[in-house]
Amino acid sequence: MRKSIFIALVIASVSVASFGQVKVAPLPLKERTLANGMRVVTLRDTSSPTVSIHVWYDVGGKNDPPGRSGFAHMFEHMMFKATKHMPDEKLDRLTEDVGGFNNASTWPDYTNYYEVVPSNHLETLLWAEADRMINLNVDERNFASEREVVKEEYRQSVLAPPYGKFFWLLDDITFQKHPYRRGVIGNLEELSAATRADAEKFYKTYYRPDNAVLIVVGDFEQKQLDGWIDKYFGRIPKPSGEIPRVSVVEPEWTTERRFNEFGPRVPFPATGIVYRAPKTDSPDIAALRIAASILSGGESSRMYQSMVRTQQIAQNAFLDLELNNEGGRMSLIGIGSEKGTSENLEKALLAELKKIQDSGVTAKELEKAKNQLISQAIRNKETNDGKAFAIERAVAYLGDAKAVNNEVAKLQAVTAADVQRVMKNYFKDNNRVVIYYNQAKPTEGEK
Amino acid sequence: MRKFCRSPHVSKGDIRNTGNVGIFTTLALFLIVSTINVLAQDVIPTPGPAKSVSIPAVKETKLKNGLTVAVVEKPGVPLVTAQLIVRSGASSETIKNAGLADITASMLTKGTKTRTAEQIAEEMEFLGGSINSGAGWNNSAVTIGITSDKLDQAMAIMADVVLNPSFTKAELDLLKSQAIDGLKFNLTQPGFLATYAASVYSFSEHPAGGTPASIESFTPANVSEFYSRAFTPNNAILLFAGDITSAKAMSLAESLFSKWPRPSTGSGRGSGFGDGSGLPTRKDIVRRILVIDLPNSGQASVNFFKPIESIGRASEEFYAASVLNSLLGGGYSSRLNQEIRIKRGLSYGAGSSFTWRNGKTNFGTRTQTKNESAAEVAELVVAELKRLADTTATEAELNPRKLALTGGFGRNLETTGGLAAALADLYSFYLPTNVLNSYMTSVGSVSEANVKAFAAEHLHDGDMIIVGDYSVFKDDLAKRFPNMKIEVIKADELNIESPTLRKSNVP
Repeated sequence: MRKSIFIALVIASVSVASFGQVKVAPLPLKERTLANGMRVVTLRDTSSPTVSIHVWYDVGGKNDPPGRSGFAHMFEHMMFKATKHMPDEKLDRLTEDVGGFNNASTWPDYTNYYEVVPSNHLETLLWAEADRMINLNVDERNFASEREVVKEEYRQSVLAPPYGKFFWLLDDITFQKHPYRRGVIGNLEELSAATRADAEKFYKTYYRPDNAVLIVVGDFEQKQLDGWIDKYFGRIPKPSGEIPRVSVVEPEWTTERRFNEFGPRVPFPATGIVYRAPKTDSPDIAALRIAASILSGGESSRMYQSMVRTQQIAQNAFLDLELNNEGGRMSLIGIGSEKGTSENLEKALLAELKKIQDSGVTAKELEKAKNQLISQAIRNKETNDGKAFAIERAVAYLGDAKAVNNEVAKLQAVTAADVQRVMKNYFKDNNRVVIYYNQAKPTEGEK
Repeated sequence: MRKFCRSPHVSKGDIRNTGNVGIFTTLALFLIVSTINVLAQDVIPTPGPAKSVSIPAVKETKLKNGLTVAVVEKPGVPLVTAQLIVRSGASSETIKNAGLADITASMLTKGTKTRTAEQIAEEMEFLGGSINSGAGWNNSAVTIGITSDKLDQAMAIMADVVLNPSFTKAELDLLKSQAIDGLKFNLTQPGFLATYAASVYSFSEHPAGGTPASIESFTPANVSEFYSRAFTPNNAILLFAGDITSAKAMSLAESLFSKWPRPSTGSGRGSGFGDGSGLPTRKDIVRRILVIDLPNSGQASVNFFKPIESIGRASEEFYAASVLNSLLGGGYSSRLNQEIRIKRGLSYGAGSSFTWRNGKTNFGTRTQTKNESAAEVAELVVAELKRLADTTATEAELNPRKLALTGGFGRNLETTGGLAAALADLYSFYLPTNVLNSYMTSVGSVSEANVKAFAAEHLHDGDMIIVGDYSVFKDDLAKRFPNMKIEVIKADELNIESPTLRKSNVP
């Protein structure tokens, strides 16, 4: 059945030594740091005449300026506009027009810019990425127009989909102080308030070589690539001054909080039960990923079997791991079926939680979860771009590109006792936020 | 998911296209000349010579029972995608049994003579693999993705679900209730609602996923009957792509599928529901305007739909249509996205597509905007359609759009899943597999005049369908489209099985 309501996001990086009889060699990365502080990771792979280029910046939704929720993401859009040497949308001319593509995305913790092009265009793209790192011109007309695009993006992701607001609320009402509560997209009011001056300040503050990592994967000659990197990025000066970091610490969640929320067009009730997640470099992450797979990885998983097939109260039920550098959230989600109510969804979600806390998992479940996560890791690295993404996540979440090669070993080391322990430690009655989401009553004037 | 992208047109995988540099080289040379004596960093570097691209070869054979087996060897990453398709899909349905192809294909993984639904999911997921089944318009498919060391076990499960499905009432009842809930969910989304209504209103077809009433009506006997007509070896193709040799693939096919009996009667190919007759001959871009009123909708979905009855996927005009689409609404820099998003900030994205059938294609443009700007966006869409038919694009504009198209094609072939999907597409339309190799040349040979002629001949007398909060854009729409009758249906009143499209019989 080609039907999907929501795709759970997990941190998925890479693979290692052996899985069944399949051997996966570690990625032979080369790393260096330029004099201006920019880190460079390269990986040669000539299986296709293409190259993937990623520029990763250590700035994300959590760095939105005060009163400017959604700003980091809006700024990401501005990076495709004119620079000192390129007119608006020149990046599209250099990629799409020669058979490649580009995109960029803003996450709570970071922002990436990336393109895949035929490998004879590598030098051109290195030049262009260096140019927009130092020479962006933000003009008023572009800024105003792109701000409207981002507002449409907000409407399309939050207002138009039936559960858009529900997923937005998972951040907005759970975090009490930490800027993760803005959920990257922000809100219409603060997006409208943003100005061109904000953009210029943001660019100067965060877009600098010592806040960036360049990742190149694909068909290149190492010496030539290194020369181009020195030529185009090496001459960007290192700015003086510290890069501001988020210092807000989210207070511990120590009492249960409950919310009744409503949307204008909600086909079936939904329930979310949200807990704090440990930081991405925590040794408990692998065990939590295994737990999520046992609970909701595929149709043989516990939550699918119990809530979708047996009780038939849910269309979809899962443990969503939203893992972030400073501790994200983990949410038990139930999207109702015709027989679903917020109450019976909550009860069923908590019953599954209690079961894994009290009785743990079987050896067979553990092995199945490892098989699933390891083959997913192999699949994620099928292409040059897939490898670049995996390296980028290791940089972002573990602070070390080479950690891309440790993922499988970490998953393999998890025991059934680890899974039970992490489910007991992080999921407690007094640290959860329970959200019921239902259809709003028709308001006056609505026909 | 808290990731927000610059562009909704997300591409996956890598690219295999050589960049022909045409316009780009010219521009680069100009810059070099005009920026002499400046720092090296100010000069845009020129690309070196393009490397050649290799499109993998397809090896094909036929078993005695008529099953076609096709293999693409792609060593390197230890993954295999295997797919069994039959050339019967939603096109074999009518509106009364709409959705039966998808329900039948989905039921395959819900139990066999020796495995329960739970066992199928458990065994496949234990291997770290996946199994999916479903139907599109032109075919039905069962697909597995697996690491190559576990291919034998996974293929045994795949063969079992294809050859020995049990179609129990309990599983069918569950699947039906899931499908109906899913439909109820989708019918609150403006974009889905527009496509759903267009299937009948504009394309004289039926929605491939079914209607609440059609899905409710299915019995195990219906499913069984559809299965026995559609799932026959002479109507099927077994595809392998990835880390597998052709010898290994042939041996798996022989051992698992050679006993699949070939039926004495024909395959399950059927004809579509409607004939699309009665189109008037005048050449306005918009023939009718339909508004589906969805009060409090977060955005409006603005669409133009036009069936083209004379051209199918196998027609040579497929390539002119594909290039036209790349120019108009395929990819970030297409004209619709330029005009609606990049220049005016009216949407997160705007695009168009041709949906191919045997002997027919359905053209559509799609975008979402705030309710206030729905009518303005509709007008912009019409202007772009008119421009395609009235003016000839320059080579300088069209060449990059061709490269964007062939580049995307090449990228799709970089994964085992993409390779299998490309082959499934060709086999569904009875096209030879060497189309994979000739695709880029065929795209290259489309001229600017071909594109204009195609638009002038086909992209008129279509339907504008807008789903959104009508009270917000009612006056503006009437003003921008004077002299046009605007038909309005409340979303809650929509019933596409009725000739009036309404639950009540009063229009």
